Amino acid sequence: MSPRVLVAMSGGVDSSVAAALLRNQGYEVIGVAMRLAPEPPPSSTPRRRGTCCSHDDFEDARRVAERLDFPFYVIDLRAEFHARVIGNFVSEYLSGRTPNPCVMCNREIKFDRLWQRAAALEADFVATGHYARIERDQTGRFHLLRAFNESKDQSYFLFTLGQREMARTLFPLGNLSKTEVRVLARSLGLANADKPESQEICFVPDGNYAAFVSRNALSDQILAGSVRDSRGRELGRHSGIHQFTVGQRRGLGIASGAPLYVRAIDSVTGDITVGSRDSLVSPGLIAGSVHLTHPDNVSAGEVAVTVKIRSRYPQLPATLQIIDQAQAQVRFPSGGPAVTPGQACVFYRDDEVLGGGIIEAALEL
Amino acid sequence: MRIYFDYNAGAPLRPAAREAMAEFTSAGTEGNPAAVHFSGQRARRLLEQARSDIAALIQAPPRSIVFTSGGTESNNLAIFGSVQKTTRRCIVTSAIEHSSILAPIEELERRGFNPIQLPADRDGKLVVRNLDVIDQNTALVSLGIANAEVGTIQDLRPIAQAARRAGAIFHIDAAQAAGRIPLVPAMSGCDLMTLSAHKLGGPAGIGALYVRPGCSLAPQLLGGPQEAGLRAGTPNLCGIVGFAAAARNAMASMDAEQQRTAMLAQRLLRRLEMAVDGLRLNGPREGRIANTLNLTFPEVLGESLLIALDLEGIEISMGSACAAGAVEPSHVLLAMGRSAAEARSSVRLSLGWNTTTEEVERAAGIIPLVWRRVAAAEPETSLPPSDAEWWQ
Repeated sequence: MSPRVLVAMSGGVDSSVAAALLRNQGYEVIGVAMRLAPEPPPSSTPRRRGTCCSHDDFEDARRVAERLDFPFYVIDLRAEFHARVIGNFVSEYLSGRTPNPCVMCNREIKFDRLWQRAAALEADFVATGHYARIERDQTGRFHLLRAFNESKDQSYFLFTLGQREMARTLFPLGNLSKTEVRVLARSLGLANADKPESQEICFVPDGNYAAFVSRNALSDQILAGSVRDSRGRELGRHSGIHQFTVGQRRGLGIASGAPLYVRAIDSVTGDITVGSRDSLVSPGLIAGSVHLTHPDNVSAGEVAVTVKIRSRYPQLPATLQIIDQAQAQVRFPSGGPAVTPGQACVFYRDDEVLGGGIIEAALEL
Repeated sequence: MRIYFDYNAGAPLRPAAREAMAEFTSAGTEGNPAAVHFSGQRARRLLEQARSDIAALIQAPPRSIVFTSGGTESNNLAIFGSVQKTTRRCIVTSAIEHSSILAPIEELERRGFNPIQLPADRDGKLVVRNLDVIDQNTALVSLGIANAEVGTIQDLRPIAQAARRAGAIFHIDAAQAAGRIPLVPAMSGCDLMTLSAHKLGGPAGIGALYVRPGCSLAPQLLGGPQEAGLRAGTPNLCGIVGFAAAARNAMASMDAEQQRTAMLAQRLLRRLEMAVDGLRLNGPREGRIANTLNLTFPEVLGESLLIALDLEGIEISMGSACAAGAVEPSHVLLAMGRSAAEARSSVRLSLGWNTTTEEVERAAGIIPLVWRRVAAAEPETSLPPSDAEWWQ
């Protein structure tokens, strides 16, 4: 019997090609689309039954499954997504941090909840269309590696994977470029070959995070306060810390000669501290919720690594010291860019993801 | 071989229907029943023969049968057609009806009508404490006689009498009941009755609405004199021929078939109850269409069980499918007082004319194993507290 693989399909070209490749490699493919984001509020009458999701993306995924002749199901994980991803997203913003919901979704949904479902369906593997690689060495140890195609690399979002997860996860696109994927999609006759990529967070399609957080928060959870310069002088007022992220320049509502950036957000007083671009430079950070892809990945003491502290930042040289299971300290020998609490800090050695954590605080100069 | 336990969504085609349609198509399908020529006359003869056959099932005059595209269209015609020629503003229905009744009535509510939903008890029986809700302002009473999801059979006679006294139109949705229980007793006091072909082993896409002669109904499709002016459009004659053949066959074998189906469903239920701790049957033990087993499986999501069983070759259903193909918990179970969690753990197995003892035995062996595997794999299933909280 060929191994059975549950492929998470979004309807996009990447996961469609991933499913097609596995099917052609002889796996028994089962396609699933996950219903994650809640529907917009019902507009007309109250008490509507069967709130329906006429999600075109699911139809695209279904068409791929029909074309390649494997079973396909839509599964409803809205409750889990709401509790574990959206809830975290809202509370992080409300406490002045900038979360990365894709990291949370991978950890809590794709490589946890979906895995339970895979076990229920007797699947041997879960596969996704992520651009990343998993390699197994002679000792049987699994390594999480950056995608061959660096510009598409998504390994940053996957640092929470452990040995157990990697042993049963497949990333069929890890060695391909986006162009190759589109060519493959066309040669397979997939209708979504030229579908544009989704850029925004899936549950905030308009990209207006502040408005989303306000809608999902109680009014007494929103903390307004002052905008101050580094010497504490009040430059203006703001209506809630959830509207800001460290490093942000736009939307401060302050007229100033030189451009001002958010340097820090105080979740107790509600103060936003702003400063020049140079003032954002930080010597390092403290990360919490640290996870290593293998427990032996990082030895004791200070270790030279590279780190990525936002998904679109380049990898920076740094020294890493694991303080305990929960915490790590990262130092940038030559000064680092704006450190944004709530974002993931991912540790790399060459191509390999060693692990990562959630940024708790910037180190002071 | 796959095991098909989803007759309530659509039964397999009866051989009698297949043969009748094959005969019809091989003799040539040309000829519009409204045309003057020989082919038209042949088509018209077949159409009227089928109309008589369907009418005979409910001992109604042939001209009272209006062919439609199925149960959904029949329900839409019954509901929208009943309220057009009246100044009455109230519509009585229940919370456990099919969505092709509930959605048209919701639409009428948006247009200013006042719907009243009769409640159901824990077994899915309508609770009618006070028939005064049906009064001089009631335009229409629209209720199912056998529930699609839990199988409960309703005693509609007191309600029919109240509707008659009030001068309201009384509509019965018999899509799930036809071919399964005798409908003649329900005919007295009934103004409109929905029938569907593919629930009783005919083809999909064809149905009928019985319209009591003299009942004031406005057509919803305009553009031709067909079906006594109540439903314009060239009729789907192939489907109608198959519908009539399936209906004749279902009626002729109803007693024996229902006994057999009841025996098989009972056997399946007993075996599952023995193997699955805490399994619960939704709906009454007595007074139900016997083919339908709506079951709450403890500690699993119905969605997971449904997919896992599908991969094992057993086809069942749950609630209703949304546009994207995800399953939604049954509004019927919620209306019967089940919690959202219970509704999410419930699935429907519906048997029928072609179910075999061997299929039941095999399914009774597989289902408990799959249930145990799914329950072990998804232990801390988190369930949403209620749909309302989603939109905060």
